[in-house]
Amino acid sequence: MQEMSLLSDLLEAGYQVSPQAAELITSHNNPRALINHILGSVDDSVFVIDVEDIDFTGFEEVREAEIPCKESVANTNSANPISVLCDITDCSTCVGEYMEFVQYFRNRYSRLSEMIRGRVNARPMESLKGNRRVPGDEISIIGMVSEIKNTSNGHRLVRFEDPTGSFQVLFSMNDKDIYEQSNKLVLDDVVGVSGNLTNDGKLLIAKKLVFPDLPNMGLSKNGSQGKALFISDVHIGSNTFLQEQWEDFMTFVKRQSENPELNKIAQQLRYIVVAGDIVDGVGIYPGQEEELTIPDIYDQYEEVAHYFNQIPSDITVVIGPGNHDAVRQAEPQPTFPERIRKMFDPRIKFVGNPALVDLDGVLVLMYHGRSIDDFVASIQGLSYSEPEKAMLEMVKRRHLSPTYGSRVSIAPEKTDHFVIDHIPDILHCGHVHTVGVKQYRGTLLINSGTWQDQTEFQKRVNVVPEPARVPVVDLATFQPTMLQF
Amino acid sequence: MGDIVVSETMQKYFDLMEGVLHNEIEIANRARSQGKDPKPETEIPLAKDLADRVENLIGVEGVAGRIRELETDLSREEAALALGKDIAAGNVGNFDTKREAIESAIRVAIAMLTEGVVAAPIEGIDRVDLGKNDDGTEYIKIYYAGPIRSAGGTAQALSVLVGDYVRRGIGVDRYKPRKEEVERYVEEILLYRQIATLQYMPSEDEIRLIVDNCPICIDGEPTEQEEVEGYRNLDRIETNRVRGGMALVLAEGLALKAPKVQKHVNKLKIDGWEWLDTFISGGSSDEEDKDEKTKVKPKDKYMRDLIAGRPVFSHPSRPGGFRLRYGRSRNTSFAASGINPAGMVIMDNFIVAGTQLKIERPGKAAGMAPVDSIEGPTVRLYNGDVLRIDDEKTAIELHSQVETIIDIGEILINYGDFLENNHPLIPASYCVEWWAQEYLKKTGRIAPENPNQHEVMDICNNYNLPLHPDYTYTWHDIEREEFVKLADFIAKNGIKEDQGNRLLLPEGKAKEQGIKTILEKLLVLHRIYDSKIAIDNPLPFINCLGLGEDLKKQWEELPCEDILGCVIRLSGWTVREKAPMRIGARMGRPEKANRRKMSPAPHVLFPIGESGGNTRMLSSAASYKANNNSKVGEIKIEIGNRICPSCGMETHEFRCECGTHTIPKLFCPRCGRAVNKDICPKCKAATSCVTAHNINFKTVYDRAFERLGERNKLESFKGVKRMMSKHMTPEPLEKGILRAKHDLFTFKDGTVRYDMSDLPLTHIRADELGTTAEKLLEMGYETDIHGNKLERDDQVVTLKVQDLVVSRGAAEYILQTTKYIDDLLVKYYGLEPYYKAETIEDIIGVMLIGLAPHTSAGVLGRLVGFTKSSVGYAHPFFHAAKRRNCDGDEDCVMLLMDGLINFSHEYLPDKRGGKMDAPLVLTTRIDPSEVDKEAHNIDVCSSYPLEFYETTLNYTNPKELEETMDLVSSRLGTPAQFDGFMFTHDTSDIAAGPVKSAYKTLGSMVEKMDAQLSLAEKIRAVDVADVAERVLVSHFLPDLFGNLRAFSRQGMRCVKCGGKFRRAPLTGTCPHCGGRVILTVHEGAVKKYLEVSLKVAKKYNVSSYTQQRIELIGYDIESLFKNDKSKQMGLADYM
Repeated sequence: MQEMSLLSDLLEAGYQVSPQAAELITSHNNPRALINHILGSVDDSVFVIDVEDIDFTGFEEVREAEIPCKESVANTNSANPISVLCDITDCSTCVGEYMEFVQYFRNRYSRLSEMIRGRVNARPMESLKGNRRVPGDEISIIGMVSEIKNTSNGHRLVRFEDPTGSFQVLFSMNDKDIYEQSNKLVLDDVVGVSGNLTNDGKLLIAKKLVFPDLPNMGLSKNGSQGKALFISDVHIGSNTFLQEQWEDFMTFVKRQSENPELNKIAQQLRYIVVAGDIVDGVGIYPGQEEELTIPDIYDQYEEVAHYFNQIPSDITVVIGPGNHDAVRQAEPQPTFPERIRKMFDPRIKFVGNPALVDLDGVLVLMYHGRSIDDFVASIQGLSYSEPEKAMLEMVKRRHLSPTYGSRVSIAPEKTDHFVIDHIPDILHCGHVHTVGVKQYRGTLLINSGTWQDQTEFQKRVNVVPEPARVPVVDLATFQPTMLQF
Repeated sequence: MGDIVVSETMQKYFDLMEGVLHNEIEIANRARSQGKDPKPETEIPLAKDLADRVENLIGVEGVAGRIRELETDLSREEAALALGKDIAAGNVGNFDTKREAIESAIRVAIAMLTEGVVAAPIEGIDRVDLGKNDDGTEYIKIYYAGPIRSAGGTAQALSVLVGDYVRRGIGVDRYKPRKEEVERYVEEILLYRQIATLQYMPSEDEIRLIVDNCPICIDGEPTEQEEVEGYRNLDRIETNRVRGGMALVLAEGLALKAPKVQKHVNKLKIDGWEWLDTFISGGSSDEEDKDEKTKVKPKDKYMRDLIAGRPVFSHPSRPGGFRLRYGRSRNTSFAASGINPAGMVIMDNFIVAGTQLKIERPGKAAGMAPVDSIEGPTVRLYNGDVLRIDDEKTAIELHSQVETIIDIGEILINYGDFLENNHPLIPASYCVEWWAQEYLKKTGRIAPENPNQHEVMDICNNYNLPLHPDYTYTWHDIEREEFVKLADFIAKNGIKEDQGNRLLLPEGKAKEQGIKTILEKLLVLHRIYDSKIAIDNPLPFINCLGLGEDLKKQWEELPCEDILGCVIRLSGWTVREKAPMRIGARMGRPEKANRRKMSPAPHVLFPIGESGGNTRMLSSAASYKANNNSKVGEIKIEIGNRICPSCGMETHEFRCECGTHTIPKLFCPRCGRAVNKDICPKCKAATSCVTAHNINFKTVYDRAFERLGERNKLESFKGVKRMMSKHMTPEPLEKGILRAKHDLFTFKDGTVRYDMSDLPLTHIRADELGTTAEKLLEMGYETDIHGNKLERDDQVVTLKVQDLVVSRGAAEYILQTTKYIDDLLVKYYGLEPYYKAETIEDIIGVMLIGLAPHTSAGVLGRLVGFTKSSVGYAHPFFHAAKRRNCDGDEDCVMLLMDGLINFSHEYLPDKRGGKMDAPLVLTTRIDPSEVDKEAHNIDVCSSYPLEFYETTLNYTNPKELEETMDLVSSRLGTPAQFDGFMFTHDTSDIAAGPVKSAYKTLGSMVEKMDAQLSLAEKIRAVDVADVAERVLVSHFLPDLFGNLRAFSRQGMRCVKCGGKFRRAPLTGTCPHCGGRVILTVHEGAVKKYLEVSLKVAKKYNVSSYTQQRIELIGYDIESLFKNDKSKQMGLADYM
């Protein structure tokens, strides 16, 4: 029904539509805009509109549903206002059907390709097939990586895909520059590639690789005032939870520290941002019961609430979940259930994972950071000891978690919540239990460490945590300071 | 080595077998000489002994001779090491490089250590290579692969020692690991443990100790998809994936078998292995050993990883569990144990002959066999009667009336199994055999059978002999207060009746005061009449309670602490423990008897690509049209090309139209030249004869029917999509037509097989095997076990070592196979039919090949009869020759003629493990010295000596009794190694009990689980809540978590072409064929066990931790599969 009503515009204009093209159009984010675009751009000689006739060049999609789930709840505490711009909570539409997976990736493609389109004059892949072009012509495509292979001669062969088809691109070992750039490609990245076609027209030899990336902005930012503090991975309930250090930290937050320096900072605190894993959870890994001091999940949260409820009321707290928390494992994760939220003081704000929040004019993108595992495993030179480097990879590709099917479970929602549309002032992750802070093109990247000592598992996999370190950011200057408890 | 020592009759038997064998080989060769098969002669070489097998398996010439020399004065292990050194030094065999010599040396040594039977030496080692140490010296790397598992821990560990031994001989340095490499091993083995099972998990420090010190680098192929996370991209370790073979050799080999390695190190005086001392002495295993010596504790290891639908029969060592009866029946031993068939029925038909039980001790698992001469279960019926059921018929009658199973009966385990597992003997339950020997010793007379209560008491009083076991109750199971209460109650309320033959107690009162429960705990049988509890023959019982003839209590205070002590003091008799130890058990896997089918199951190994569709129907391929313009039946397939040496014609068939046998047409895939060698002389690439080209399949298809003179009326006739073998040689289509006609399926090597669970059998009776004494006489049997002439069908006869008893299903399938072979001989080869069998009785006496999974050596066997059980009964030596024991494993039989005519190396898959499970050699004669050593620990006496029972009370190490017991090991090398075996307990029917396990007859997993839990509720020795929790934690929860994870990371699949995608294609449809793409993990698979888990968790009130895990996963699933928008619309929205 829907399909027919959509396509009727085309039919009324006197065109026939092939089934493939019909599918492409109807599954698009904004089919009406696309149809209007087609009507405007299609060649007069065309009678039956097929996939190759749909030229995306110049299609400026009018994005209505750009922000997945917008909510603008201003906190009642007007001194430290907070509004949530982007969060999956109560907006999950996924029911687990195949088409949802397709839509999820198409949504990613259309939004990320839009960011690149201005810099690359790309054509649909389907149009590269069949009609032979002059070999050596420079052409560009925007594609999602579907396969990365190394040839026996040491070159890298990458298959790219767009909604019309797929194409193979060779990153030659002899072109050091481009080859090294291609080292950074991970599966399901959306990037632009320019290069020359081989003689048989079946392969593109890459010359240029374009990531969506952040725009190169100056450092002049309109900040706010006061300070925000970032923590994550508290892991209350675990027998390796560092209670003593945590209590010291709470003393500091309550502005009762004996250290005047710390107290001074505490006086300026306006926000505390928590990026997941506030408890150790139950049943997260085999044999976890042996390593829990609080075996009941709700008791764990009671304990957390007991601490958080002591935080002075003029400090606003935002909490998002992580993979140890009692919410669904598939990301994007909605926020904590009512039963848990009720344990906390009502002024504590709960969000999903990821979530984009506005803290009195400062945009903070919170993401627990599960995908850092994937980045570290697939990009050479990244390690758990420098989590900020993995976070840099996120902002460069304007996507928090590109690779599908590996360590991150995803829920196929209508829109891809991992796409970074709005450029945040601060990107905040946790998960890996190490600390890292970095400035990149006006965005501050923070990984906020942990409150858990090295676990048996981490010993085995050679991860050395940096517990009880807390980054504090001056909201006026975006200067980070590191506190140690 | 030489000939096997045998008696005259056995010699005749072997001659008879070999006569038939050679006759069949001759027929097979005649058929194959026509050139209609890959090779013009049969491809299974015969191996008379181990030396032959090793040489045939590895293919190094001269090995057999050297083995025979070495074995004259060295043990197997020593000889293997010596031979390895010989080969590496170049004394045996011919090798181009040092590397190849080392590799062969190690392979041959493993082959010897594994009796030349398993596939480990060919498949378990990928290659051997030389690496460079940081100081510039060289070291040896052995790349182990997954199939090394089949070698077993000892051979795995010794293979490393062989490596070290040969390394010294040729001057290669030791491996000097870098620090990060050591840590990589630690991480990787711990990770492997999570993915797969390891018999022994070394501690992290133990792993470090081994890697730091082991002179050989234990490397391996990546076998798992998982990658290590910490120590990645190391220089000298080529993969980040987990190397399963490496983990096995290090953990199950070197770590677990360190004492064995040390023994050889000491003998050979090799240095550099001193670290084994710290390993052996420092380990925590030592403490456990000590514990075991002093006292045997309940072990719950067998309870781990409980699966839904496979019930627990007894918790560890709990009263009401299996009572141990020492002894061997003719269908037990060799890791098979017996229980009464009545018990099989009463325990809801879960256990049948061949079912595997995981047991608490002495080993890990045991196959089950029916033995009706031991005690069955004791039950309470709904009417209150408590009785013991010893026969299957009564069990079936009463099954529905059973309220509680108070005691699950006896389990028959032989001494040999304790010896084999090196488990201390545990105190024997007091049983008739023991009592009878005590009686004999004291009185010099044969003990009376079934003495009545007066006689029993007289014997106690007159000879001071222990109380007869039938009147001995489980006193050790009750508390002091219970004893006092019981004695008081009977003193006050008991009434003797019928001259003391019956004791009556008021039922209502007895129940109220818990007296009935105490009687049940003691296993005092009773019935309920007119609201009275009636105990028959109560006099010994009354005396044991310290009551006088008038039922007056003769005592005030209990004389000592333990109840049995009290009983002894009060009664004035010696009373022994009825069941000092119980043995816990749960169901392992069900018995199996089924035709071997690949999935999907082809009738013929002929490739048809996609043209046959997903069902691979050959008829659709014959009528296939690629497009409107193409010819009917023209299909494109990858196939091996052959060429006729005389006329030069190219074909895929084995015989050219001119009648000549064709040979593969090899070419170099790189330079495209035709070369008639395995390696291209120019570019050194491996050559191939495979090309993808169009063939007119319709012609091939029609012509095959025509040649056979068969009409095409086959309902289903299936081929394969693609050949997996190196040369992609297809089978002749004719073979498939005849197989399809007789409803037979082929396995990867071209043979037809039938799988069955193994059980041992040492003696048979013609009447239980569907055969006659006459027939047995024809087959070379002469006398029964007592040496009498064989005349009647019910005489017990010793089974000949290579004779097999198969399930009826197998017999039917074999019968079909004989018809197929006859058809093949007549219609395809134009020869005389061979079997001419019409009924299954006709095939008694046919020759078979027994072959176990993971092995590559078949054993020649002969069919002697059938059984209705779903098992393959054979002599323990026969199983041992295949390197199996009877703990629930299964293996297959095939018809000898089928193997000889149809087996070919050309069909075997060209991949890791491809050579496993194929008859690469055939052992023709079983030499007991050359079978798996485990079989040497079988006891074959007719009764256990009194001394045995007495020593068990001290938890003696079974080794100390080795001399006293009549074991196979003491008979080796004499004619008695085949003859004169006996057993201690007979069974009237080796096929007694239910035919199929309830696990197989019940439908869904939920149904199975319900049955499992309802049985758990019935058995006193089982804690049903614990069972429920274990099933949830070890089966349902991992399933739920796994599927939920899998859903969110799943790959997609095209329904049309079967293409697989890591993620959904952006085009939505299949990029290859435009077909519809679907999910591979569905919501249904994820939710499957959610509801039942919630229900079970609630009903049995499992731990709150587990309940929360289920609750959380429920929320998780709901969040993933419910749209928040539509969720908010409740019923109210529509009103």
